[in-house]
Amino acid sequence: MSIKISSSLPTDREVVLGILNNSVEALNKLYVAYFPMVLQFILNNNGDEDDAKDVYQEAIIVLYNKVKSGSFELSSKLKTYIYSVSRRIWLKKLAQHSKKTSNIADFEDVLIVEEDMEQHEQKDMQFDKMKEALESLGEPCKTIIEDFYINNQSMQDICEKFGYTNADNAKTQKYKCLQRLKKLFFQS
Amino acid sequence: MRQDIELEAIIEDYLNGKLTPEEHAAFEQLRSKDQMVDHKVVAHKVFLESMNQYASIVKLKEQMDAAHSHIDVASLTEELKPHPSKLVRLWRNNRSAVAIAASFVLLALVSLYSIQNNNKQAGTFEAMSQDMAQIKRSQSGLIRDIKSIKTDSKSNNSESRPRFGGSGFAISGNGYIVTNYHVVRGADSIHVQNGKGSYKVQSIYTDPVNDIAILKINDKSFENLPSLPYTIKKGASSLGESVFTLGFPKDDIVLGDGYVSSKNGINGDTLAYQVAIPVNPGNSGGPLLDNNGNIVGIINGKENKTDGATFAVKSKYIMEALNAIPQDSLSRRVAYGKKSMLRGLKRDKQVEKMQDYVFMIKVYNNN
Repeated sequence: MSIKISSSLPTDREVVLGILNNSVEALNKLYVAYFPMVLQFILNNNGDEDDAKDVYQEAIIVLYNKVKSGSFELSSKLKTYIYSVSRRIWLKKLAQHSKKTSNIADFEDVLIVEEDMEQHEQKDMQFDKMKEALESLGEPCKTIIEDFYINNQSMQDICEKFGYTNADNAKTQKYKCLQRLKKLFFQS
Repeated sequence: MRQDIELEAIIEDYLNGKLTPEEHAAFEQLRSKDQMVDHKVVAHKVFLESMNQYASIVKLKEQMDAAHSHIDVASLTEELKPHPSKLVRLWRNNRSAVAIAASFVLLALVSLYSIQNNNKQAGTFEAMSQDMAQIKRSQSGLIRDIKSIKTDSKSNNSESRPRFGGSGFAISGNGYIVTNYHVVRGADSIHVQNGKGSYKVQSIYTDPVNDIAILKINDKSFENLPSLPYTIKKGASSLGESVFTLGFPKDDIVLGDGYVSSKNGINGDTLAYQVAIPVNPGNSGGPLLDNNGNIVGIINGKENKTDGATFAVKSKYIMEALNAIPQDSLSRRVAYGKKSMLRGLKRDKQVEKMQDYVFMIKVYNNN
């Protein structure tokens, strides 16, 4: 099953409101609307569709963070913003792999997004740190922490899922995991 | 250990705002007293923020992956990847530039086309003298009508029939008439006709450049005209000024009404005005007057592709022509730059007063 591409481009306002309201539908619309644009850019500049997916998702994360922080103003078209951020991310990746970044084939207008990118890179570092810490935490700690903090499950649910005899045992286990995770997170 | 677990739980509730106001106040107190607790709170706060941020991004990625799975990436990739053909790649990469270039080309073509059309005007200028010979040669029923009318009135007339027709108007009481040069060009004999009768005239002055000819009635039956009701306008007419003309596109006098639509004639010809009056063959040489009864020009042609684009020789060239003939031969000549007697009259009265001064020009050519 495939969603018709660009059959209905969401308005920029619609998207921003959708992001603020955590609307899944708005995200779907947004995602489908501008992916081809980024895909085209990446394909024409030494990338493949997987690169396009990574870059595009990162660009949308940048957009989300910016909108949620309240500093996003619709001074430009959303499309242009997403394109500019994706372009910036891809150029950086190309540079990291010491591929040539001259002669970039462009398909849209480009905004200067340096400031947003700096903020994003800081947040991205935090994200990677947390991700690494969780990875090295090992099971069952990783799942317990993820269930509790990411999937917002109650201690009762976790207790049942992992077969702990009582909630206190589960709490103790979670505490131990959390201490280790914190240690890993703050030390890295 | 147990205490630590409790403390951690309280810190988390504190940071998430889940404590009751009393608990909250108590905890704040503990925090300010105990450095260790405060440190733990700060550390946990940073950790929780990072965790929340992490969680939201992980969720967002999950949602995006779900959205991504709906996209047919393979076919999109096929469609959007760099085309092996350089031309197509160039087109895709420079789509907007190409579009702009294309619109410029289009614009250029349109303007070229319109310029060409303008140039075409030169070829389509059509003198408004009635070419009767041509009409006669054609086989249409209309002409047979003319022939039969002609044979009726032929009895007392000369053997030849007019080959060209046009209009003209008096510029003096004693029978000087102005018309277009192209009306009388190559004529063997010229007759003029108004409501009172038909008279033989002689061409005494021609100005091919300005397309003006002056004729003199040379006929004993002609009685001098009373003083001319119209005058010749001194200045130029302005755009939009309403004007009218009288002429003989047929055997009866015909009034045409319109306005000055351009200060120059065909191809920027400064000798002429362009006026929006529908005219027909036979109108050539007719006077063009403004509302006040001043002659502003002589109708001399039209553009045959455009309806209502008629051209008229400017009045100042009439004066130049008039000045070229012996002044003492003109009695009661047309006034120049004075108030006309037609001023302030309604159009029907103006026409009534001046129609005896407008003549049908009949040109005979024996060849």
